[in-house]
Amino acid sequence: MDPVVVRGLSKTFYDEARGEVKAVQEIDFECRAGEIFGLLGANGAGKTTTLRMLSTILTPTGGSATILGHDIAAEPTAVRKCLGFYSATTALYPRLTARETIEFFARINQYAGDVKQRVDYLIERFGISKYASARVDKLSTGMKQKVSIARTVAHDPPILIFDEPTVGLDVLNALEMQDVIREFRSHGKTILFSTHIMSEAEKLCDRIAIIHAGRILACSNLEGLRQVTGERYLEDIFVHYVRGQG
Amino acid sequence: MANLFRWADIRLLYWRELRSALRERNIVVNGILLPIFLYPLLLWLIYTGMTFVSGQTQGFASRIMLENLPQAHQELRKEFERDPRIELKDSQDPTADIRGEALDLAADFLPPAAAAAPLGGNFGVRLTYDNSKDRSSIARDRFEELLSRYRDRYLEHQASALGLSTAQLQQFWIETRNVATSRQMGQFILGLMLPLFLIIMVAVGCMYPAIDSTAGEREKSTWETSMTIATPRANIIVAKYLYVATMATLAGILNLTAMLLSVKAVLAPIMGNSTDEVSFRIPLASVPLILLLTILLACFVAAGMMIFASFARTFREGQAMVSPFYIAVFLPVLFLQVPGIQFTTGLALIPVVNVAMVFREAIAGTFHWPLIGITLAVEALCVALALWLAATILRYEDFLIGSYGGNFAKFLKERLLGGRRRGRQ
Repeated sequence: MDPVVVRGLSKTFYDEARGEVKAVQEIDFECRAGEIFGLLGANGAGKTTTLRMLSTILTPTGGSATILGHDIAAEPTAVRKCLGFYSATTALYPRLTARETIEFFARINQYAGDVKQRVDYLIERFGISKYASARVDKLSTGMKQKVSIARTVAHDPPILIFDEPTVGLDVLNALEMQDVIREFRSHGKTILFSTHIMSEAEKLCDRIAIIHAGRILACSNLEGLRQVTGERYLEDIFVHYVRGQG
Repeated sequence: MANLFRWADIRLLYWRELRSALRERNIVVNGILLPIFLYPLLLWLIYTGMTFVSGQTQGFASRIMLENLPQAHQELRKEFERDPRIELKDSQDPTADIRGEALDLAADFLPPAAAAAPLGGNFGVRLTYDNSKDRSSIARDRFEELLSRYRDRYLEHQASALGLSTAQLQQFWIETRNVATSRQMGQFILGLMLPLFLIIMVAVGCMYPAIDSTAGEREKSTWETSMTIATPRANIIVAKYLYVATMATLAGILNLTAMLLSVKAVLAPIMGNSTDEVSFRIPLASVPLILLLTILLACFVAAGMMIFASFARTFREGQAMVSPFYIAVFLPVLFLQVPGIQFTTGLALIPVVNVAMVFREAIAGTFHWPLIGITLAVEALCVALALWLAATILRYEDFLIGSYGGNFAKFLKERLLGGRRRGRQ
């Protein structure tokens, strides 16, 4: 069974101004073990809502999804335990130090091994040693990014969700983020990754789902998408599907 | 229940909150330093203010005009001239000069009333002054004080001429005796001050943590981070609530301790030697009751403030939303400063006010157990209601993720009373 299975997942919001908003409409996909699965879509397409549902921040209004066999609606705590969620809206606690932050997330997310060893390893791995005792609010954006990734993987979850992880980062930090995601894949992690940047999806993802207006329009690897559309570049492939939908 | 609450997680989350809080200046100032130093500082300010006002009034001479002073009482003029606080002046139009602040008071000596006319040396005095001006009012006080002294001496002199002693002239006198012990006096003074300050301090100690752990987290985008933690949401909320209640209790207890340690030293300049006669000690038997009520009060205020603050998206918004509750908590207690107010069943049914009344009585060593029982029940009920309300509100997803745009009143009207259930998990 695939580690992430999504079937008919939907989310409808009620908005005072707009009334009922169907943010995600009956989407289906699955992520295979050890792959980077990309959700590619424009702003407002439904990427973040989908990932928030999978990370149990939001409750679906229809359909279902399982993470390592745990139903996201019925077993939210078990789901959260086996995934790490990273996004621009999940900031770090500003008054904790880098070390305290990583240790807190390792413990609260029930890391099975020796927490101290794990924290030391992550501090070493992400080059945080020099500022491990500094308060997070005193760190630069690049340093915060590293601590943030370290806290995401503090409990060594088998599944990682990255919601537009390079938003707001400069080129070098964005490239470093891509390297880190690749490294996680090489360690056997299953990665769900959302972006609206075509080149990023093209470089990183093993398979891509194109999402637009809350619906998945296509889901395949890059080669498969090229064959179906006859287009070479992902940008053209994306436009092909979105215009076709319109 | 065992699945819902994981105490190991709650403990971790609680320490995370507390550790963060103790690194935040505003929380340390309002929750720890202010409760410790408020009394000494406040009372010192009052003392300094009183000294300043007193110095101001003593620093000027009252300009007084004497008109038609009888020949028999020219000694009185000399008395006025000898007093450095008084300057005798003349005026063509005393009323206009008093209004124009060139003169403070005009004393017109009048012939005695008909019944007193046969007695030699009698006179009446009409004082013209402006009661809306401090200088003029002070001039009147000084004139009356000096005239009263002069009259006593004059009467003694006249009595002596008639062969009467001062004691015979005085006829009767008043002697006062206060049956309250020094401890009772101290408890009376503490009872007036402590409940109000304790309640304010609990609210102040609670306010910043309540806003910081709710609206503050939304503003800093750490709310969503907390929502991704592998523990039931209830644990996160319970840890936050325990943390806010701890800070409120801490503020209350620190305040109480600081008050007991410093009140005598601080009141000494105001009360003069009488502080030697006063003992500021709380009966030991009252301490458990006061602590229990402080904790209950802290739990209630913490729950209330967190509910209001959690509708805000920024710290500033949180302050605005919490302020009405903050005022509602301590405003009724202000009315308890009215002298002679008794602890009744009616007062025991009013939250917070009842706590203040139990504090006041406990400090004096008085225990009306039926009323204390009602107070404990009412406070416990308030805490339970506030927690039920919080749990109900947290079932709404848009509220939980911070996308709900209204305030508590709107939420109450639309969702809880109006029966709309959209967004409920």
